[in-house]
Amino acid sequence: MNSDYRQARYEEELLIKRSEEKDIEENPLPENIARKESAKIPDLPTHEVVRYFNRLSHMNYGVDTGFYPLGSCTMKYNPKFTEKLAAMPEATELHPYRPEEFSQGTLEIMWELQQQLAELGGMDSISLQPAAGAQGEITGLMIAHQYHKNNDDERNEVILPDTAHGTNPASVSMMGYELVEIPSEDGCVDLEALEEAAGENTAAFMITNPNTLGLFETEASQMAEIIHEAGGLLYYDGANLNAIMGKTTPGEMNFDIMHFNLHKTFSTPHGGGGPGSGPVGVTEKLASYLPVPVVEKDEEGYSLNYDLENSIGRVKGFYGNWLVMLKAYAYILHEGSDGLEKASERAVLNSNYLRKKLEPHLNLPYKPLRKHEFVLSGKKMKDKDLKTKDLAKRLLDYGYHAPTIYFPQLVEEALMIEPTETESKQTLDGLAEAVASIMEEDKETIEEAPKNTSVRRVDETKAIRDSTLSYMMRD
Amino acid sequence: MVKRDEREREMLDFLGINEIEELFEDVPDQIRTDLEMPEGLSERKVMSKVKKKLKKNKDPDKVTSFLGAGIYEHFIPAAVNEIIGQSEFYTSYTPYQAEISQGLLQALFEYQSLIAELTGLGAVNTSMYDKPTALAEAILMSARVKRKGNKFLIPENTHWENDAVINNYLRGKDIEIEKVDFNEEGRIDKEDLKAKMDDDVLGFYVSTPNVFGVLEEDVDAFKDIKEDNDCVLVAGTNPLVLSLMRPPGEWGADIVVGDSQPLGIPKGYGGPSVGIFACNEKNIRKMPGRIIGETEDSDGKRAYCMTLQTREQHIRRERATSNICTNQSLMALASAAYMFLQGGKGLEELAKENYKKAHETAKRINELEGFEAPYFESESFNEFTVKTPEDSKSLLKGCKKKDIIPGVPLDKKDKFSSLPNTLLTAVTETKTEEELNEFVETLEEVTE
Repeated sequence: MNSDYRQARYEEELLIKRSEEKDIEENPLPENIARKESAKIPDLPTHEVVRYFNRLSHMNYGVDTGFYPLGSCTMKYNPKFTEKLAAMPEATELHPYRPEEFSQGTLEIMWELQQQLAELGGMDSISLQPAAGAQGEITGLMIAHQYHKNNDDERNEVILPDTAHGTNPASVSMMGYELVEIPSEDGCVDLEALEEAAGENTAAFMITNPNTLGLFETEASQMAEIIHEAGGLLYYDGANLNAIMGKTTPGEMNFDIMHFNLHKTFSTPHGGGGPGSGPVGVTEKLASYLPVPVVEKDEEGYSLNYDLENSIGRVKGFYGNWLVMLKAYAYILHEGSDGLEKASERAVLNSNYLRKKLEPHLNLPYKPLRKHEFVLSGKKMKDKDLKTKDLAKRLLDYGYHAPTIYFPQLVEEALMIEPTETESKQTLDGLAEAVASIMEEDKETIEEAPKNTSVRRVDETKAIRDSTLSYMMRD
Repeated sequence: MVKRDEREREMLDFLGINEIEELFEDVPDQIRTDLEMPEGLSERKVMSKVKKKLKKNKDPDKVTSFLGAGIYEHFIPAAVNEIIGQSEFYTSYTPYQAEISQGLLQALFEYQSLIAELTGLGAVNTSMYDKPTALAEAILMSARVKRKGNKFLIPENTHWENDAVINNYLRGKDIEIEKVDFNEEGRIDKEDLKAKMDDDVLGFYVSTPNVFGVLEEDVDAFKDIKEDNDCVLVAGTNPLVLSLMRPPGEWGADIVVGDSQPLGIPKGYGGPSVGIFACNEKNIRKMPGRIIGETEDSDGKRAYCMTLQTREQHIRRERATSNICTNQSLMALASAAYMFLQGGKGLEELAKENYKKAHETAKRINELEGFEAPYFESESFNEFTVKTPEDSKSLLKGCKKKDIIPGVPLDKKDKFSSLPNTLLTAVTETKTEEELNEFVETLEEVTE
């Protein structure tokens, strides 16, 4: 098997290189703050700029190009109609401070999205303000911090399993908490270790369920009991919500705080790294702690409520990434209860199917039944004196985006694969065949990969050594 | 649909199970629940339903808005949306696999390069969420740079939403915010700034333009204050004015924050926009966020990749410089496209037009009885303060009847309660002569 995938290979010079030195004429600013020379930005005809970016886009790979089984990222196909809605002037041309009575449509949609998410998470109240999952996490920790403070119960530790996403420990230390990491047992949280770690210093315990190995933490309710017993709060990282919609909710598992990744579960495109949206949900006892404003409804219509008794205040300017919320809202309406449950079912079916297809070629640690994603070990590559990274790079030649690699760290040479519900059996079979074929290839072919992409293997060490982070920083 | 079911059957057979539900046997019965929400609607029905809701927003074409305060109304050339609408860009993830993501990586490197030109600082990340969070991250970075002191000075002439965000981000950190007064010009009271300087101060913030639209004039003095006190200078700005204004890097700023929304990003009810984050080259390892670097591939061809990743959460975990992962990349791309489409000269001309229109409008308002504009008699960019003859609430009401929003009532914000009857009014290039005439006439009418 070989691939006919070929990515465009243009030699595109940087546009900024085409700028010329110029003086500013008739600068109206006062002498001592006026620029003398223009910023080095070229003056080009529109069509040249359009062509340039068009060509760059041909040297980029998106979900619309092909299969993107990037574990933990939920790269499902993004419907086009939501893009159309989010491009309407009634959505884009709104200043955040326009009067509430001029913004009833937007507020209604935000309010309804709050209701949808509350149902999907089994939570009582929602804030749409956080811009991304990691911001949702830190918002959750701010809520926990304020809650304990108001109870005169200052606590300084947050417990995480060793399988946690990198953002979890980063959020914990950013909030000034001590991190207590507990080891996993057979890939899942070890209740005994949790019990030992939990105590009067425990502010919160954060997990995702299913966890990053794709394993469902069946003892989630017991964990909740242990943490609540110790006076702590439970935080659910919603990154893996795509596995459980219509089956269970963090609320059912007795979690107190959670975030949603609208750009994962609810199919808003990832935009090459963002914008996303990371709404936070809480149970009733924490509802008054949410960031303000929250959208409320009464007989007169919809309004922004800035007056929540224990509110932590703000985490971001204005109300969050509205245009992302709008797409997620339309997606949820389109899928409905039946479609969302089906999405989770199909995501889990695809994951288990592909897992079984790949098992003969790569090692599967821990028990086989997975949810929406699974982690394999690429240690077999070592037989050829190669690494997981080499397999990942070779997959690019076959026209697939590589899985997430080297995460979670507790799996040697990890490959984390999340096929999502939108991929067909044929696509999954294609990837499995590609992996099978690569495993048979000789060392040199794999080592030299990729060759069908815009550039060959990129020298990341040189990038660090040179640290050229802008045209200005070129020697 | 039938075909899909057949495929599903084949997959279940392959797994040796009868139904999908068997794959959920690890989810205990006690925590099972159903979704209480309506069933899905067709694309046609969703489109029509959501459009109807959006139409409940007052038609933006029928509203004449002079709102600014962080989000500004600028014309966006159609080509910007065409460019960010390329599905290879907008349906891609963070470019972890550099070889297959050169297009986005190069585009983001262009963004970093453009922001470097405007700010005068060479090291730029691919975005923070917005300006308030960029400022919060800048304070946290200042503490990493200066391993001394626990005080950061913030002037009172900054946006009220900055304060709220900063307070939250500094929870649990040993950093204290101390406020610095502004003077009768609306500018930082330098005497107060100097008076508050001591060994505990790790840095201070200068916003120009500030929340009143006012530009600082003697910017070089900030460099001196910074050097005299061995601390970090964080400057906040509007990227559009930087096409005319001396780059903050030139007057001592170690970090520049801002929002790139004025450069090609719609108002979008406040989001998504782009938090600008630039810093001087010696502190790159202390920066938060994703950064693109230039390098080569194995054939020696110029290439780009995410770099200095050991600062980041996915590698460094609890020792990362920030928890940020998903950022606002696509909007950074929009800004880069916008800047190239406008061109350097185009941006300058646009900035001049904004400056001119705002100044002329302020002058006309100032001639109205009982009005003072700008209230702070200082150089400003495209927004300014207006002292109104009566309470801003009734003025706003009168204007609203004519579908005019004259500005943001500053006096309704706690921190500016000392400025009674004061509006913050923004005038950009989008306002026509007729609209400006009607605006001035309306202000006169409603206060008669």
